[in-house]
Amino acid sequence: MLDLLQTLGSGVLVGLVYALLGLCVVIIFKASEAFNFAIGEFLVIGSFLFYVLFFDLHIPFILALPLGLLLAAAVGALVERVTIKPLLGRAPISMTIVTLGLGFFLRACVQLIWGSHTYSFFLDLPDITVEVGDFLFLSDPIWAGILAILTFVLVIVFLFRTRWGLAIRATSEDQAKALAFGINARFILLIVWALSALCIAVAGIMISNFGALQVGMGFVGLRAIPVVLIGGMDSIGGALVGGIIVGMCEAVAGAYIEPLGLVGFKDVAPYILLLLVLFIRPYGLFGTVRIERV
Amino acid sequence: MLSIENLRVVYHDVISVLNGISLNVQDGEILVIIGANGAGKTTLLRSVAGMIDFYDGDIIEGDIKMNGDSIKGLDATDIMKRYGVTYVMEDRPIFWYLTVEENLGAAAFSRWDSRVKPDMEKVYGYFPVLQKLKGRKAGYASGGEQQMLAIGMALMTNPKTLMLDEPSLGLAPIITAELFEIIRQLNASGITVVLVEQNAHAALDIGNRGYVVETGRIVLDGTAQELLANEDVREFYLGSGKKERKSYKDAKRYKRRKRWL
Repeated sequence: MLDLLQTLGSGVLVGLVYALLGLCVVIIFKASEAFNFAIGEFLVIGSFLFYVLFFDLHIPFILALPLGLLLAAAVGALVERVTIKPLLGRAPISMTIVTLGLGFFLRACVQLIWGSHTYSFFLDLPDITVEVGDFLFLSDPIWAGILAILTFVLVIVFLFRTRWGLAIRATSEDQAKALAFGINARFILLIVWALSALCIAVAGIMISNFGALQVGMGFVGLRAIPVVLIGGMDSIGGALVGGIIVGMCEAVAGAYIEPLGLVGFKDVAPYILLLLVLFIRPYGLFGTVRIERV
Repeated sequence: MLSIENLRVVYHDVISVLNGISLNVQDGEILVIIGANGAGKTTLLRSVAGMIDFYDGDIIEGDIKMNGDSIKGLDATDIMKRYGVTYVMEDRPIFWYLTVEENLGAAAFSRWDSRVKPDMEKVYGYFPVLQKLKGRKAGYASGGEQQMLAIGMALMTNPKTLMLDEPSLGLAPIITAELFEIIRQLNASGITVVLVEQNAHAALDIGNRGYVVETGRIVLDGTAQELLANEDVREFYLGSGKKERKSYKDAKRYKRRKRWL
């Protein structure tokens, strides 16, 4: 029993990072109804930008983190300007397909610049390992959880308490209406992509800190797919719950099912869970309840 | 003064919707544009509002001028901010999943300043029903309330010219009357109104002048009284006129009499 709680606890901490990834997908989906398949590449690029600032240029962490995140946001904005903006007003599916190609392109760029070997990535954050009774939670996952939830909350405050957030939510609902009321939908989309890239970078840095950084790490980004599909494609709360569920599911599968001889089951388990959820609730757990007037 | 000169608009490079339309809107008047479905009324408003490219349409000829400056090809937000032209799209262009108050706030985005709150109170003054609903999601409001909200949102943008696309769409006659009375009040407070309507009678009742649009051209223009008295307008848009039934085959297609350029 204690063992299970320990496993679930670790799962939640990782799940918070997944929730952040899910959030990044959700805000883009809400704003343009496109699924960003290039999320893994944004994750790797964000991590590498931070890597360059922190490990290569030896800028102190407290400066390197915001600077790296801003750079990541700039990359997100640039990508939006070049690839997404020309498609505004077209079918969302064309944007989704663009992100598929974009993923390959960005991966190749990263490989070209940084090669495909592994970079050691160790942030050396203060040790906050929690050891209570029989429980042991390691410092790195706790930091990851804290930073992820902090970012998550900041994004929500931005979306729901500022006028920019209001404009983003309005644009998310209908670009044409937003345009007619003087909200520059094109610029809002830019902000959303930058914000999304920034949050992905936070998640990327945390995930890199668990192990090491290399170009192949992009596949972790695809963990966002079960997260958002379980939680509901257009629900921010759903991303949080979905992320935690996926994190726990992965941890449990890793601790209890993999030892039975099913090596790698950990990576498959969320998708099986996803399948089950979709059987019961096709819109995901928290997918929008459409307003129907009678 | 807003003037549209020989405007031609094509969607998707092939579908010609406006075929050389010309009209002008005097400051301070209520201009009514009537016409059948597909005549190009909405396209005309979209072009003026700078939203035509969003719908994959192109202005291939002609010009749109506001007080002499060409506003053709400007961004929608620029046209709104610099020239005070606000376009209220048809079918109640509100944000369903935002509350009524958030809707008004979102509409004020382009001019956020300290006067937003007082302006919101002013909107609540015009539409007291919105005050009661302000914390509710706009999607749950009734059709009339939604249309009032849409006009309230337009007011939040501080318009000098308000272009309304079928505000009476799907509303009960009594609500329509209420709405048109408010439009008249807004006009009296100094806002120029361009009113596109299928409900020709109600619109011409409050309007000063009117244009009849058919297949992307102006076929008739005159004061509201002239149009209300016109035999063909009465027959095709007001549903009165001669008693015996006529075939549409005999419907008179106007030839543009004026020549431009």
